[in-house]
Amino acid sequence: MTLIHRSFSRRRFLGGSALAVTAGALGMPFVRTARAQAATFKAGVITSLSGDNILGGNLTKQGYDLWAEAINAKGGVEVGGDRFKVDMFYGDDQSNPATGADAAERLIVQNEVDVLFGPYTSGSTIAVQPICQKYQVPMISGSAESPNVWKAKPEFNFGIIPSVDTTSGLSLGVLAKTSNPAAKTVAVISVNEPFSKETGEGFRDGVKAAGLDLVAYELVPPEGDLTPVISKIAALKPDVLAVGGHEEILINVVKTSKSLNYRPKALIMHYGITNPAFAQALGADADGVTGVVVWLPTVAYKDDLFGTAKEFSDMATKKMGGEPDYTAAGCAASGLVLGDALKRLGKKPALKPEDRVALKDAIAETDIQTFYGPIKFEKDGPHYHDNVQPVPVLVQIQGGKVVAVGPKEAAAADYIYPLPAWK
Amino acid sequence: MDLFLQTLLNGLLIGGVIATFTIAFQLTFGVLHVIDFAVGGWVVLGGYLGYYVTALLGLDGFAAIPLAFVLFGALGYLIGPVLYNVRNSRTARPELMALALTFGLFTLLRGGMLTAWGFNTRNVTTFLSGESLAVGPVIVPLIRVAAAVFAAAIAGGLFLFLYRTRYGLAIRATAENCHNAALMGVNIRRLSANVYGLYAGITAMAGVLMGAIYSVNPEVGLRYTLFAFFVAVLAGLGSVGGAVAAALMLGVIEAFVSTYVGSSYSLLAIFATLFVVLLVSPKGILRRGL
Repeated sequence: MTLIHRSFSRRRFLGGSALAVTAGALGMPFVRTARAQAATFKAGVITSLSGDNILGGNLTKQGYDLWAEAINAKGGVEVGGDRFKVDMFYGDDQSNPATGADAAERLIVQNEVDVLFGPYTSGSTIAVQPICQKYQVPMISGSAESPNVWKAKPEFNFGIIPSVDTTSGLSLGVLAKTSNPAAKTVAVISVNEPFSKETGEGFRDGVKAAGLDLVAYELVPPEGDLTPVISKIAALKPDVLAVGGHEEILINVVKTSKSLNYRPKALIMHYGITNPAFAQALGADADGVTGVVVWLPTVAYKDDLFGTAKEFSDMATKKMGGEPDYTAAGCAASGLVLGDALKRLGKKPALKPEDRVALKDAIAETDIQTFYGPIKFEKDGPHYHDNVQPVPVLVQIQGGKVVAVGPKEAAAADYIYPLPAWK
Repeated sequence: MDLFLQTLLNGLLIGGVIATFTIAFQLTFGVLHVIDFAVGGWVVLGGYLGYYVTALLGLDGFAAIPLAFVLFGALGYLIGPVLYNVRNSRTARPELMALALTFGLFTLLRGGMLTAWGFNTRNVTTFLSGESLAVGPVIVPLIRVAAAVFAAAIAGGLFLFLYRTRYGLAIRATAENCHNAALMGVNIRRLSANVYGLYAGITAMAGVLMGAIYSVNPEVGLRYTLFAFFVAVLAGLGSVGGAVAAALMLGVIEAFVSTYVGSSYSLLAIFATLFVVLLVSPKGILRRGL
């Protein structure tokens, strides 16, 4: 048996060093070009470009890019009569909040971005917030939906999409107005896990705000069987059954209700019925289920850059290869907020650290109309810096398709209410 | 009173549903002395087979049940000897190695399904899906009755097989003392492979029913593993008869706590029951476990 002994080799060391220096030099030009481009605004996108949330992450990236492309095609953001283009930089949170915070720090320190566009997930957004605070860089979040993001009162973060508790809460008001004869009583079921529970709490609190009666509020464990809770609710005979959960539980609620021959007059669910897999899994049984979305291509809003919601949707469909949902729309609208704030701020690039703080204050004063809807940030309360202006759109599955049914100005079809009994 | 009767029925049917995938699990523990973590994986595989049989072939979901038995029974038969070798290897803690192996198998199945079939939730449709029967004030969901009948048939079939056939005698002998059984001429290795195959096949059949009652995606496997384990502990590890009683007990507890206390306490009540049973009667409610 021979003993292999690897000693230090001068040749190997020099060879390795040469390789490292070459690799470093190859990397340099990119750094230099980024620095060399003067007189542009620099925006960093921090989102999930790999890992579990890659689909949603890319959706947000595409949304932010739609704005950057549109504004650069016009020559850039207008400041004091001149136009300045926007450079986009990307950071990957790898679907992991802690990595997101690191990537945000890199974007701020190395790429010297003036502003950040926020992550796909609320978890990452919460992790990135302290970084924005530390470096005093504003962030506009086009996707985060959890109320926990805003409960922390983030000074430098602004949200475009209303947090899920307001969305689900307000939707019951829309439902009460759209239903005929008007719905009066509501039972709420939500899965006992963070996002679903917040949705359920939104429904629960929305019942009172809409002037309805709450007959039951049930938290079910994700592993539990639904027959007992559905039987209990069936005995209470509420007009509306509202369910907070993801698609699996929503599918199980419909299946369990049908197997117990129980159908409320309206079944409203959030989040996930707009996912085509929902209607696919349930077939004809999915018909009549009501859902909530923040934005649809059919809403009657418009702005100068993107035009109407429909025009935005057509343009985005061409570029993304599929119809944009409200996340992509919210992200594109984030850019409109930035453009408007930069214009009002009136500072030309490159922004100094104190300009970024002033930019944060300018964003806080946003009050604009966009293709996505009105945008204005809360100045106080539990939804601090979130845009709770948009009225949610009520959708219903009709003939396997998701159609808008309320409020009246967004409706594309009549609301089927009350639902007929199971055949 | 109507709600009470409905709750009782709901509970018994939940018990029947849980029993479908725990009976064979108990048999495997009795013979191979392995807690098979992969039980949820076999359930989900069966569910997906049900989905593809309905979606691609346009057949009724029930048609997938015999197919699941043949297909996954064969797969289990191939995996059985591996598990047997690990369980009887000369490593320091073979029982823990076997547990790790089944955990690995479960992770592999879950990841493989996620990659192959994506994360969308699927449904299995049968001619009984959504059908119900009104008996007085009580609504009887027929698909769950089918599951309960299936569980009863499996339990009855296994009973006859174990107590009325020569091969069943060999299985019972192996479960009792595998060294003595081997001395009597039982081929333990082949018997273990057969038992694991039988278990995988039965569990996958139950999976088709789970897909029809609930829905299926790669992530739901863990909850079946958990419930199989709860039932096994409550029943006494290895006790097949106890599994049915324990499943019914868990189902009834879940239903009554959900309806009369609050759904959020149902799992708490189950855990508390489990804890008390382990304290008072570690061999399970029928005191027949190992």
